[in-house]
Amino acid sequence: MFKVKPFIFVSFLTAIITLSACSSGDSSGEDEAGDNTIQVWTMSEGLDDFVTDFEEESGITVDVQSIPWDSAHDKLLTAVASGKGPDVLQIGTTWVAEFAEADTFMDISEYIDDYENLAPDNFYDSAIGTTEFDGKTIGIPWYVDTRALFYRTDILEEVGYPNGPETWDDMIDASRKLADRGEDQYAIDLPTTDPQFPFILAWEHGWNYDIDKGAESFDSENFKEAIELHHLFYEEGLSQMGEGKEFFQAFSDGSKPMFFSGPWDIGTIKDRAPEIEGKWNVKVMPTAENNKSMMGGAHLSVFANSEKVDQSLEFINWMADPETQVKWYETKSELPANKEAWQDPVLANDGLVSTFGEQLESTQPLPLIPEYERLGNEILNVLEEINRGGADIDQSLEEFQVEASKILSK
Amino acid sequence: MNAMKKKWTPFLFIGPAVLLLIVFSFLPIIVAFSISFTDTNLIGLANWSQINFVGLDNYFELFKDETFMQSMRNTFIYVIIGVPLAVGSSFFIAFFINLVGQKLASTFRVIYYVPSVTNIVAIAVVWGFLYNQEYGLFNYLLSLIDVGRIPWLEDPFVAKLSLILLAVWKSNGVSMLIFLAALQSIPRVYYEAADIDGANRWQKLIRITLPSMSFATFFVTVTTLIGWLQFFEEPFVMTEGGPLNGTNSIALFIYQEGFQYNEFGYGAAASFILFAIIIVATLIQFKFRKSDQTL
Repeated sequence: MFKVKPFIFVSFLTAIITLSACSSGDSSGEDEAGDNTIQVWTMSEGLDDFVTDFEEESGITVDVQSIPWDSAHDKLLTAVASGKGPDVLQIGTTWVAEFAEADTFMDISEYIDDYENLAPDNFYDSAIGTTEFDGKTIGIPWYVDTRALFYRTDILEEVGYPNGPETWDDMIDASRKLADRGEDQYAIDLPTTDPQFPFILAWEHGWNYDIDKGAESFDSENFKEAIELHHLFYEEGLSQMGEGKEFFQAFSDGSKPMFFSGPWDIGTIKDRAPEIEGKWNVKVMPTAENNKSMMGGAHLSVFANSEKVDQSLEFINWMADPETQVKWYETKSELPANKEAWQDPVLANDGLVSTFGEQLESTQPLPLIPEYERLGNEILNVLEEINRGGADIDQSLEEFQVEASKILSK
Repeated sequence: MNAMKKKWTPFLFIGPAVLLLIVFSFLPIIVAFSISFTDTNLIGLANWSQINFVGLDNYFELFKDETFMQSMRNTFIYVIIGVPLAVGSSFFIAFFINLVGQKLASTFRVIYYVPSVTNIVAIAVVWGFLYNQEYGLFNYLLSLIDVGRIPWLEDPFVAKLSLILLAVWKSNGVSMLIFLAALQSIPRVYYEAADIDGANRWQKLIRITLPSMSFATFFVTVTTLIGWLQFFEEPFVMTEGGPLNGTNSIALFIYQEGFQYNEFGYGAAASFILFAIIIVATLIQFKFRKSDQTL
């Protein structure tokens, strides 16, 4: 009896170690899952059912794993650190530089000519702009995304802009009238947590980020104008500081009759505020010097360590096909990156969506630098200090430049 | 042979636990400690040859970083206000639950414990509504007695207090159970003796209950203090450190640097400063307790 007890513990211990070894082995076991299976990581739910057509056509099994956007960054980090990832992965345009620098993606430039749908000419220029990093092609655009103005036609008509404001001057004029309607009435909801928005505003004022100049790019009259414009909306109470009412309720009751957002909110308004059907519309961004919006969206890339390059590219080729792109739009309302897909009546005849199509013609990719996310968030902090904390614009911008050069030099 | 067996048996028993502790606690701490002297970031993670040794640079940098200093100050405020409040309120809840009858006691035990087992995200959604400046329940109730709108989560200082309130509410359950167990383990004879001596309720509380519970109080204070120094979930889900960094805590700062901006070396350095603070705070408490016992 005495001898049995230690023995049990030893075997227990061995069992634990073996089990844990096994389970860690399982998660990396995707390589063993047959030669004709590719693993795909996506942040878009619903891709799993969508790929059945491809599986039937090609005989390749697609193992789709959906990751919510919130945890995608962490998941990709783990994949980079361990070198164990999927074959194909979705990547948001703003993450390209950060992950490309860490060699997450395979350079697929040499394969592009072998497949019919991968040629750069098929896609929007600014979408292609973020698939090229350091002379390499790191992915193929999947869907695109941009920002436009959502507005209440009935309320804007009351202040004399039935078709929405054309320019930023119109916008300010309309906004002042809208905010004058009374207490708790605002004109527009500006995206306070979206690091892309300050860039859009600055582009529209003729500013542009110059990678060679780095932090000095921000030392510009045009950039300052954009910040001042942003501040004006909070200074005069045209936009609400703080969260306030649930947004779609505010849009529906008219207290916030305008906002900037992406195509997905077409569906959200229809769902959440069906009572204002026909009383709202979408318009391209207001013009200052131009009306550029940002080009966002996602690409499909091949993971650097993938051994199934051919199957992966065949899958990406299928996803880039105009027909598939239209079908994906019908499934998830995400805008096709392939220009030919926009000819399809489903998109061309829909007034709201074609406005986004129009906006896409006037877009620009965000600066393709690994520090982008950090810079964008820093600008948001500066804006918060100015708008909420009452900091001086000139001084804040000077401090921001110091901070920016510190971030960029890391 | 037998002596040998006697010697090794205890190690066999604690072996699995120690092994797990080494693999999942000590090893990561050592790795993090070494990383904190390097400039490890995403690129370094993928390719180890890109990692450079930077000595104490990360630590110097941290003390020049206004965001980090701000989060240190915030954490300090959280601890100063939060810990006494959390320990005090859970003690009083336990004390009163101990006074009432069995049925009522078990009902209230459940009521006070439920927040501790509720998912923080669900809590954040509900409290987000409660705290809403426009249509939140708190401001509505206050408007009934003619108090103007309070910017619960919109003002840097008020937001800190709002998060403290939420965290105290959420953490009461566990400490309450410990206090309750301690209260119930005080021998009845003490009170009977006190009754014979003619002690009143207050005297019994001060002279018998509190001294008998000193160990439970010590334990709860230490764990609560450590918990509050690592204050993370509440600002993470409710405010993400805003407004104006007013609710950012050290732990949240570490998360932002490490996992949002991929500055692993910098984040690891910050986590070691937090580690040092926790160790020092705990040692001070042990010191106090020792001097307490010699009295």
